[in-house]
Amino acid sequence: MGFRTGNRFVDFLDPESPFFSSGNIERELLAKQVALDLSEEEKHTLQNLVDEGGSREVFCPIVGCGAHLISLEHFEDHYNGRHTASCSVCSRVYPTSLLLSIHVSEAHDSFFKAKVARGYAMYECLVEGCGLKFKNYKGRQQHLVDKHKFPSSFEFFKKAHLSKKARQKQQRKQSIHRIEETSSKMDIEGETIDGLVSAVSKLSTSDASPPSSISFGRRNTRGLAFVPRAVQREKKADSVPTGAKQ
Amino acid sequence: MAEGGLTSHRRDPIKSSVGNVAAHRRRQNAVEVGKERRESLVRAKRLCRVSSSCDDSDVCIENDMIIDEEQSILEAQTSSAVEELKSAVSFQGKGAMQKLVGALREMRRLLSKSEFPPVEAAIKAGAIPLLVQCLSFGSPDEQLLEAAWCLTNIAAGKPEETKALLPALPLLIAHLGEKSSSPVAEQCAWALGNVAGEGEELRSVLLCQGALPPLARMMLPNKGSTVRTAAWALSNLIKGPDHKAATELIRVDGVVDAILRHLRKADEELATEVAWVVVYLSALSNVATSMLVKSDAIQLLVQRLASSNSLQLLIPVLRSLGNVIAGDSHTIVAVLLPGCEITDNVIEVLVKCLKSEHRVLKKEAAWVLSNIAAGSVEHKQLIYSSEAAPILLRLLSTAPFDIRKEVAYVLGNLCVAPTEGDGKPNLISEHLVSPCW
Repeated sequence: MGFRTGNRFVDFLDPESPFFSSGNIERELLAKQVALDLSEEEKHTLQNLVDEGGSREVFCPIVGCGAHLISLEHFEDHYNGRHTASCSVCSRVYPTSLLLSIHVSEAHDSFFKAKVARGYAMYECLVEGCGLKFKNYKGRQQHLVDKHKFPSSFEFFKKAHLSKKARQKQQRKQSIHRIEETSSKMDIEGETIDGLVSAVSKLSTSDASPPSSISFGRRNTRGLAFVPRAVQREKKADSVPTGAKQ
Repeated sequence: MAEGGLTSHRRDPIKSSVGNVAAHRRRQNAVEVGKERRESLVRAKRLCRVSSSCDDSDVCIENDMIIDEEQSILEAQTSSAVEELKSAVSFQGKGAMQKLVGALREMRRLLSKSEFPPVEAAIKAGAIPLLVQCLSFGSPDEQLLEAAWCLTNIAAGKPEETKALLPALPLLIAHLGEKSSSPVAEQCAWALGNVAGEGEELRSVLLCQGALPPLARMMLPNKGSTVRTAAWALSNLIKGPDHKAATELIRVDGVVDAILRHLRKADEELATEVAWVVVYLSALSNVATSMLVKSDAIQLLVQRLASSNSLQLLIPVLRSLGNVIAGDSHTIVAVLLPGCEITDNVIEVLVKCLKSEHRVLKKEAAWVLSNIAAGSVEHKQLIYSSEAAPILLRLLSTAPFDIRKEVAYVLGNLCVAPTEGDGKPNLISEHLVSPCW
């Protein structure tokens, strides 16, 4: 602690200073907290609370979902979690908008693939606020490990097997998926940019909005399967100009 | 509204509906457990000492054996639960999801039964890589919640056990995202709070991986157990000794506003967590301190000190006030002007703390007063003409040593002239000398 001679003013405030240790004791006990299970009694109390709340139960109307929510608030929570952060092409769900948009670019966007093939740095860092971009998947991976201390075994966008449900959903959207499968197997090097552009412009938008009989003020507007990244993320200023054709 | 097709499994209503309330109760339990654990550790030490003497050794050995036996049963159950989990994770047939959630739930039960969860056994059996797989994107909320819960309790163990969570951190951070459901985000925040509470090294990893912004955003709403858990986790994350996290936090959009709002209106439990965030902000970041001073933070801290009787809340609020006064001396001299109402209020609440029966409040209030007493002559006059002076004198003769030391500094500063102007030492000491001396 710092002192000025005579007129003592303590201006060094290290929270770990022994001066504060007696005040810190109780707090230190709370540095780590075990999440204990509820006792049977508590479960009954909570169940009563729930029952008293009345039955404002909501069944999620999204086809194939079937979730049962106990109130409108929970339903909104559920909808935000489940039906607005999912990829309209492959139905994968992501917990943040950033991750979803990175996924869409890297997995489904032909323009993205084309730019990568031409050597642009397109693979964006996954950590919020970083914004650095890399020319390939491995480069970004290395950056995550080196700069952001990610575990080296880590992979967010692994090419995992789709669940059966997702595969079935995919098979339903036939026209789009035939083209998608072709383009993902395509040897980018051999395809011209013009060829890709014309293929993209022939696609219809995928219809991923909720059934029209339901309206609750929220529509899944991410219906476009192959929107060039520049258009999709119009609010964010890209540090690398994409120069996408409109 | 049309009914969606109900899937064949019936969700346990407790888990899907009770979310927030359940988390709140778990938190209350956790605080109790923390205290119990400390007591039981003390008890254990006492047991060891007693059994080394001959008298009660039989009883003690028996008690130890019972505890050991229960513990080894628990450990065996844990190992087999991990095996179950392993097969559930790779199973891809019908009912896979239910099977996986069931295995996770069993794991979670074993890890949340006692104050000493079988963490070591779980880690040895290979639980962590499996739990990481269960956190994959798109998994049902129940699965995410149970997996995060297991990780939470593993992280609450010994240092090397907390460190074992490293592979899970990026996923836990991701699930704090704005698209996650509240209970899932909260459980992940809890787990991360435990990790941050372990030490500087893990804190630094979490900060590098981008844990701060999403946690900060979780603190913005007005109420809910999620806000409190996020504030607690943040307080662990920014406590330093590195200053950067504190400065990063205060710069997140809406954080200053939320802090002031919670200091003003929140219930005492939330206000306590937020006050600890303010403690670290004011201790470690000059930027934060000057922002707080420019706002009405001081008034809000004073109001809490005046109106609350909860020691858990008073300690961090008093500390914050002290940090703000000590950390930004020039501005304080401009804000806490002698004659201003705010200055009188500050001294009033410090007197309240001096009068308290709690040692920490007396000591730290004296510390704050000593810094005010180091100000101008007018500041010194304010203090010695207030109720503080006779209390300080009484404490000087009756209080424990560490309090007396601080009190002595207050009195010493009252007597010594400020370095700039010329003091009036005679006038000051006249008022301080009691008739009985």
